[in-house]
Amino acid sequence: MKGADNLYSGRRSVLKATGVIGATAGLGAIAGCLDDPEGDDDDDLDEIVITQGEIIENPDPNDHITGPYFNVLDPVYEPLFNVTPEFEFEPRVVEEWEDTDEGAELTLRDDVVFHNGDEMTAEDVAYTFNRMIDPDLGIESDQAAGLGAIDNAEALDDTTVLLEHEVAPSLAEFEYANYGRVVNQEWIEDQEQPVAGDDEEAFNGTGPYEVVEYEPDVQVVLEPFEDYWGDEATLERVVFNQDGESSGRANALETGESDIVDNIIPEDVPGVDDADGVEIREETSLRNVFLVMKSGVEPFDSTEFRQAMNYAVDNEGIISDALGGYGEAMTQPIPDGVFGHNPDLDTYEQDLEQAEELVEESGYAGEEITLYSPEGRYLNDADVAQMAADQIDQLDNVDCSFDTAPFPDISDANSAGYDDEEMPFFLIGWGVITGDSDYGLAPFFVEEAPQETLRNEEISEAILESQTIEDEDEREQQLQEINEELREEAPWVFLHSQDSVYGVREDLDWEPRTDESIYLWELDS
Amino acid sequence: MAFGKFLLKRTLQGILVVWGVVTVLFGLRAVTPGDPVNLIVDPAVDQATRERIRQELGLDQPIYVQYADYLQDLLVGDLGYSYQASRPVSTMVIERVPATLELAIAATIVALVIAIPLGVISGTRRNEPADYGATSFSLLGISTPNFWLGIMLILLLAVQLDVFPTGRRPVAFHDALWTFLTTFYVGDLLTWLHHIILPAVTLGTYFTALITRLTRSGMLDEYGKPYVTATEAKGIPETLVRYKHVLRNTMIPIITVLGLQLGTLIGGAVVTETVFSWPGLGLRLISAIHNLDWPLIQGIIIFIGVSYVIINIGVDAIYAKLNPRVLDE
Amino acid sequence: MISDRIKSNLRQEFRRNLLPKLGLAILVVVVLMALFAPVLATHNPNTTGHFDDGNSYPPIGTSYDSYEVVDGEREPYSVEYSTDHYLGTNNVGQDVFSRLLYGARTSLLVGILGTGLAVVMGVPFGLVSGYYGGRVDDAMMRVADVMLAFPSLVLALALIGVFGSMSIPVPDPIVTAGFAEGMPSATILPGTITVVVGLVTWVWFARVARGEAMAIRNEEYVKAARSLGASNATILLKHVLPNSLTPVIVLATIQVAAIILLESSLSYLGFSGTTLSWGYEIQQGQDYLRTAWWVSTVPGIGIVLSVISINLLGDWLRDSLDPNIEGEGGGA
Repeated sequence: MKGADNLYSGRRSVLKATGVIGATAGLGAIAGCLDDPEGDDDDDLDEIVITQGEIIENPDPNDHITGPYFNVLDPVYEPLFNVTPEFEFEPRVVEEWEDTDEGAELTLRDDVVFHNGDEMTAEDVAYTFNRMIDPDLGIESDQAAGLGAIDNAEALDDTTVLLEHEVAPSLAEFEYANYGRVVNQEWIEDQEQPVAGDDEEAFNGTGPYEVVEYEPDVQVVLEPFEDYWGDEATLERVVFNQDGESSGRANALETGESDIVDNIIPEDVPGVDDADGVEIREETSLRNVFLVMKSGVEPFDSTEFRQAMNYAVDNEGIISDALGGYGEAMTQPIPDGVFGHNPDLDTYEQDLEQAEELVEESGYAGEEITLYSPEGRYLNDADVAQMAADQIDQLDNVDCSFDTAPFPDISDANSAGYDDEEMPFFLIGWGVITGDSDYGLAPFFVEEAPQETLRNEEISEAILESQTIEDEDEREQQLQEINEELREEAPWVFLHSQDSVYGVREDLDWEPRTDESIYLWELDS
Repeated sequence: MAFGKFLLKRTLQGILVVWGVVTVLFGLRAVTPGDPVNLIVDPAVDQATRERIRQELGLDQPIYVQYADYLQDLLVGDLGYSYQASRPVSTMVIERVPATLELAIAATIVALVIAIPLGVISGTRRNEPADYGATSFSLLGISTPNFWLGIMLILLLAVQLDVFPTGRRPVAFHDALWTFLTTFYVGDLLTWLHHIILPAVTLGTYFTALITRLTRSGMLDEYGKPYVTATEAKGIPETLVRYKHVLRNTMIPIITVLGLQLGTLIGGAVVTETVFSWPGLGLRLISAIHNLDWPLIQGIIIFIGVSYVIINIGVDAIYAKLNPRVLDE
Repeated sequence: MISDRIKSNLRQEFRRNLLPKLGLAILVVVVLMALFAPVLATHNPNTTGHFDDGNSYPPIGTSYDSYEVVDGEREPYSVEYSTDHYLGTNNVGQDVFSRLLYGARTSLLVGILGTGLAVVMGVPFGLVSGYYGGRVDDAMMRVADVMLAFPSLVLALALIGVFGSMSIPVPDPIVTAGFAEGMPSATILPGTITVVVGLVTWVWFARVARGEAMAIRNEEYVKAARSLGASNATILLKHVLPNSLTPVIVLATIQVAAIILLESSLSYLGFSGTTLSWGYEIQQGQDYLRTAWWVSTVPGIGIVLSVISINLLGDWLRDSLDPNIEGEGGGA
């Protein structure tokens, strides 16, 4: 269910240092440090308050793939690897790793302890992976889809874990390095599944911070964990607040109640800019928003008709008018910066005449269609869809109306198959959170895939083949060809990847990153 | 009819109504299209797992078995688990009650504090400018949708003048009070007050308008009655007559109507909480409906329905004590 | 059914007071707006993109500060009004004035149809309950009690969860006849909301009708009709129903106002079924309060004026006819 919504989860887009992202990586200095021009009072930053649209749905670190949740949970349940600003993996809980015939072998630190005092073992790490892959262990993890290549995890000795897989090593690495926030097997097995407590007792990680207060949907308060193996907890207190209204978050920032707030809508930008002591900081994200056209349903079974829809919509115009410029136009199903993105493709530029001609060719002139959109799920989603619907409606030979629908209905439609007639035309988004095209292609374009929107044997086979290519360059080329093919096939109306816009206290030396995460432990004072 | 017997009868009726409420909700959930399993798991999850979940939830059982299980669970206070958050619904309901209660009580206080003096002035100075002012205000008050009023207050007092925050509840009243009682630190209480004023005025305005109207017409009615003329003739000062007798008699219909309007208060709270991101039951209900999280929707509405029935029995009981004639009817 | 005495009462009250006249005047304006929306509208209400370089136009006579991006830097920029857009444009560049007109249609349609549905369901229910009395009445009133245990907004939300959103396009005769080029060819009736507001308010009509039926069933002329062999159905239709009309009319008037408020609340909460609704527009505008204050403000004024006008007429009817009724208010 929530998988379709992983757009709020652009977290951990582990990008190869190629293309544009490599160049912007300098910005990705992650959760920065306090810029203290005087350089004298280092104790300024001992408490930080971050207000997000959502904090966490439940305290279980293995259950979700939603970005903002990780901001809250990562300091408590630290990830296995560090991801550098250059998007390389560095040792953290895992000290060394290598690929063998059977799979990947991870060597772990031996001095890691859980907040309840238990020592962390390889058994715990293996259990964590199995818990995410295997629903019989208690939870239906949304992270399972991201770990599709990993078949099983096994502890070889106290500090070694084997992750069995049969795919290219780089694809497997993308997967296991993104997930794996270690839980304590013994402790977890005593909990409800997924962990569902509503106080500070519901958390037990190995991270530098522990939870001291938890009020669901309202607030999480963190303080340093004294027995942490490293020395990364530099803040004495961290507060995560939840406020679902952009204007409310902007207000919290301006009044000094909050130091960092996420998802400021373009309309609130000037206000924050004008306010004293705070400013806007933005970064492109890997959240990709598009209009699905189910290729098994009339009139969308015609490639010409689908192309016509792409020519009818002015995605650059939508970005400037509905998103205040905070977005990048899409040229293919995969956003720029992801492994396998094809840099040589152009957007479909708006061309109403060509669109009308293509509609004529498709034989569906005079069609009446309705575009559905969720509300408040993605940045100005209903505005975007309303403008797109109106632009299609401008065509002389197509009637397009617009309506909103609850997100679960849209998500249902998204996973109902490529020929489900209930709701064949809707706006939805997807974050390619592994940083690899496979995660953006396989769920939609492989036959019988969970969210299949296009039935095309050739493309389907090409994607499956790409999963087994070991040579990185060869694999990249294959993915780029698939993306080019998909641009022509036009299974979606390609819209944009949206920017993340934060409001930040001016003196805070922190820059947002493309994967939208906020890392506490790199905050220096 | 004795008071005890009256109370028993009302309680039995109340139980019947509660049974009706839970049955209606079970029915609504049963007729909702769509597979609940889809709401719980990722689309990628395979068929066998879905089947297992269906069994765990008892969804493979015939409908009457499901209904019996449901009633049995309710009797022991088990409202099931939220599809979305996987937490017990009972906890998710209870933890949101204080915020809604704070809001409802604050709104009622706002309403009474403004409305009764306004109604008294209006009723005693009939057809004078003050009366026209009060009647126009109350007409506006009952005709304005409260969410719009809330937004206008935000626009004026939060966005333009920056006097109040746009919403949220940074601290719970009971926590703020506890801090004050243990450390004499008044800051938290003030923060709470600062945040609740706009929501309370938003929710309270409709009731302010309503009570102003009732007080005014009550005053006008009572003034015409012989006992007032008589006491005035005895030389008792006017103000004393006004407050002691007239107002007391006016209060009875006001209390009755307020009991009847409890539903409006709850409905209004749902909307007001949304406007101000006030973390109460209403905000949770709205997000539950957006997520089609049926156990949670059901739990919240059952809670509201049952509270409503209990409060009404209470109001009836008080009314019967004050006004024993009711028992004979 | 409506006696001469009542008629003269109505006339007298109307003549004597300013308020019903004011109410009628406003209501006439709102109804005309709704009826002739396609002709009066200056733009198609769904057409997006009426922007000044990406900025919404403010209402005539106003301006506001925005910014434009020059070489990656934000430069201050003052957005002036356009005489093409009387009340400015909204966040997606749609004409606010045209949407105000179309919003009136949705409000009145839902208000009238929803009330109609409530009358059709509630009145027969109440008449039967009150006329037969005894066990029948007891059972039927328990059903009503269950309905009353739900605040109407809350019950409406639950029903919307069940039904989902259902929009019914109703062809617009003015556009079909060719009098309004470029306007939407159909008005969207939010089907779910219309049914739901009827379902949650019928019980008030049932209560009023029941009260009347109970009062009438023992009247001499009803007894006489019965002794002459008239069937219960005949008596209900011929004698009881006409006599309960007066309070039903008064209640129906007030309920139209209450339903307009309920519809706008539901749309505000994101369950509109059509985007041409005042409540939806207010919700859209809430995110833009800092820059585009008019987007939320204008439709709210529309709601307040319509509801006031209907309430004023309701007060006039109540004062003239003096029925004893209660109903849930529309404060939500």
